[in-house]
Amino acid sequence: MGSSKKHRERGEAAAAPGAGSGTAGGGAGPAEDPPPASAPAPASASASSSSSSSRHREHKKHKHRGGGSGSGSGSSERRGKRSRSRGERSRRRSGGDEAAAPGGSSSRGHGRAGERGAAEAEGGRRAKRERREDGHETATALKSGSGEALSLSIEETNKLRAKLGLKPLEVGTIKKEAGTKEDPMAADVINPMALRQREEIREKLAAAKEKRLLNQKLGKIKALGEDDPWLDDAAAWIERSRKLQQEKDLAEKRAKLLEEMDQEFGISSLVEEEFGQRKKDSYSSRDLQGLTVEHTIESFQEGETLVLTLKDKGVLVEEEDVLVNVNLVDKEKADKNVELRKKKPDYEPYSQDESVDDMAQAKPRVLLAKYDETLGGLRRPGFRLAAGGEADGTAQRELQQVREALRSQAQSLAGPGPRLAAEYLTPEEMSVTFRKPKQRVKRLRRKEKLLTAEDLLALGPAPSDHGDHGSRSRGRGRRQRVQEEGEGESQEEADEDPLEDPPPPPSDDTRVENMDISSDDEALPPGSPPVLEEDEAEQELQKQLEKGRRLRQLQQLREGGDKVAEAVRRLARAGPGLDADMGVEPEEAGAEPERKGAIVFNATSEFCRTLGEIPTYGLAGNREDPQDLLDFERDEERSVTGASGSDGEENMGWSTVNLDEEKQQQDFSASSTTILDEEPIVNRGLAAALMLCQNKGLLETTVQKVARVKAPNKSLPSAVYCIEDKMAIDDKYSRREEYRGFTQDFKEKDGYRPDVKIEYVDETGRKLTPKEAFRQLSHRFHGKGSGKMKTERRMKKLDEEALLKKMSSSDTPLGTVALLQEKQKAQKTPYIVLSGSGKSMNANTITK
Amino acid sequence: MIEVVCNDRLGKKVRVKCNTEDSIRDLKKLIAAQTGTRWDKIVLKKWYTIFKDHVSLGDYEIHDGMNLELYYQ
Repeated sequence: MGSSKKHRERGEAAAAPGAGSGTAGGGAGPAEDPPPASAPAPASASASSSSSSSRHREHKKHKHRGGGSGSGSGSSERRGKRSRSRGERSRRRSGGDEAAAPGGSSSRGHGRAGERGAAEAEGGRRAKRERREDGHETATALKSGSGEALSLSIEETNKLRAKLGLKPLEVGTIKKEAGTKEDPMAADVINPMALRQREEIREKLAAAKEKRLLNQKLGKIKALGEDDPWLDDAAAWIERSRKLQQEKDLAEKRAKLLEEMDQEFGISSLVEEEFGQRKKDSYSSRDLQGLTVEHTIESFQEGETLVLTLKDKGVLVEEEDVLVNVNLVDKEKADKNVELRKKKPDYEPYSQDESVDDMAQAKPRVLLAKYDETLGGLRRPGFRLAAGGEADGTAQRELQQVREALRSQAQSLAGPGPRLAAEYLTPEEMSVTFRKPKQRVKRLRRKEKLLTAEDLLALGPAPSDHGDHGSRSRGRGRRQRVQEEGEGESQEEADEDPLEDPPPPPSDDTRVENMDISSDDEALPPGSPPVLEEDEAEQELQKQLEKGRRLRQLQQLREGGDKVAEAVRRLARAGPGLDADMGVEPEEAGAEPERKGAIVFNATSEFCRTLGEIPTYGLAGNREDPQDLLDFERDEERSVTGASGSDGEENMGWSTVNLDEEKQQQDFSASSTTILDEEPIVNRGLAAALMLCQNKGLLETTVQKVARVKAPNKSLPSAVYCIEDKMAIDDKYSRREEYRGFTQDFKEKDGYRPDVKIEYVDETGRKLTPKEAFRQLSHRFHGKGSGKMKTERRMKKLDEEALLKKMSSSDTPLGTVALLQEKQKAQKTPYIVLSGSGKSMNANTITK
Repeated sequence: MIEVVCNDRLGKKVRVKCNTEDSIRDLKKLIAAQTGTRWDKIVLKKWYTIFKDHVSLGDYEIHDGMNLELYYQ
């Protein structure tokens, strides 16, 4: 330790005050400032001496002082040789030594001289020892480095502490931990036997103490083993018994005396009352009056006894007591459970059969009766006990009887109920519903008579009957013709108006006619019975109706018939010259009366009129060619077409006539101008010249489609793009200017059929397919294009298409043919030699 | 009086005698006196616990024979 100090001091350049071997001094020395160097110098000397003394304390104390100083001086000398600084130190040290030396060796002054000599002799030895010790010191220094701890003694520490200003060590409180880890000492032996013995003694003492106390307590009680004098000895026993008897007597006397005293004071009655009252609180049947029993009386059968107990109720419940029989309660509960388990339907809408109670009182109408129990509480049966705890069922029985009586009296409103209806009428019904049917039968018979008898007689010589009863082949018209021809002459003077012909029956249907006639001619018999009046009214009504109907029919027939008659007449007149075209003739026939000013409405004509213009009219080729017809014929046709109603072209016919004329005029005018106008156009001006060129086709008038602006690949910013909503125009001024009238196509553009071809182009100028065009449109519309993947695919596709187009049709994609030709040119042979191994057949040989 | 062992694992192992009521500062001074470094350059630690100067050894429960780690700052 000291040596290490020395080492450190050697390293230190700063002038440290001595204390080469002094640890504490050395430690304090370098720590403190150099100026107080002199002060610690003696201390260091002393320290050094102390340190060296500490080292060798064990064996030589006083010797070491001198030796220490000597060795110190010796060592300082040696050190002085090594370095100058050390020399300084040594000088100081020597100075210190000298200071110390007289102080230290004052006591040994006498021995000094001898010692000096010896010291010198020893000095050499000391020097050697010093050397050894130095080496030893170094060795120890190394040792301390390895594991040995440097430590100071207590005195040194105290000195150091004093220097530092700390309290000295408290030596008294050194722990007796029996040494440190390094030198363990045996601990005190714990003697368990001694401990146990001590414990036992303690327990014993405690037990003895308790025993003593108990004995004191129990000492008074006699044990069994104790002797009673009177048990063994008869005399003693007798005495004892006598004593007891005497005591009893005395006690009795005392009690008597006391009672007498009580009686004197009148307290005895009170005492008796106290003791006697307990008998009177018994419970008897009279106390049962008024209690309710929670069962029906019917449940108590004759001859059986049931024990009733109080029903359980809550402690704080203050209702009156209720008696129940436990078995009956269980039975009722079981019955209720069985009922519930049957699962009867909860809701029966028509369950309340009777609106009247048992006692002929109106039952209240209950809604949702199944909830009454849960809402209102369970209604329990019960009866009260009368006086003496009795109850009888007579009241109940009487009530029951009354109920039954009422029920028997009740009338049901149900009625007889539905029955199957009888198929045949009963005699009563017969008399009620029908009137006498006899007259009717009579009436019918009379009618038939009229037909058969009178009719034949009347119509025998009638002009209508020529013995010709009609046939299908002839048709209806023929008869009329014959008739007409027969009567024609008579009628020619008369008006030709067909409507005013006399009414001969034109139809073959004689029966109908005859019926009509008979109905007309029939005269009512004067003496008709009054019952027939009703029938007469009906008859008249029917007569009128039939008349009207007949008139209408006749009119129609006559018209038709008249027309046919006219047609026949014309046929007869014109002969086979005209075609038998019924289409023309009826028109002509119809034209005559129409010429006279009458307009005939026909269903077909009306229908055809509302049809509208038939565009294909006149194109079928049925009509005569307009060129062949002469004007008058055309006029006729025109008039026919114009005037006819049956074809339904009244309005359009007139207009078409006009148009045709106009068209013809236009055609003429157009054809005339184009031929004539060529030359004068050029002279007129630039516009005319342009027109000429255009007509000739010298100018390119087609509008070239400009390539569209390159659409951005990225999505359109929605701020720039908006959808125009035409419905948003809502101010009144703009609304006013809208045209709301009927729009019609221009007549000039009737024949104009433009050939529209819309071409879409993409950014490169390529024409788009409809699909691509639509895609473009939709991108524009939605404001966003395709994503990255999609666009890449499209680009790839387009590139492939471009490549495809670029591909040469005559050659392979790699241009093999061209290469072949090149090779041939190079080799100047029309062939190529494919030879050699595969190695030579690589790309290098084949390419140019 | 307790004896505390301070080791810096580099060769310096010091046994210092001190009182329980001494502060760490005093201990450091004693160590410094024995080791030769300055007391304010010494850091006493136990694992990561740095012993502060103003606290006494008794408060830190440093008993006799305890090992403290000697570091320098």
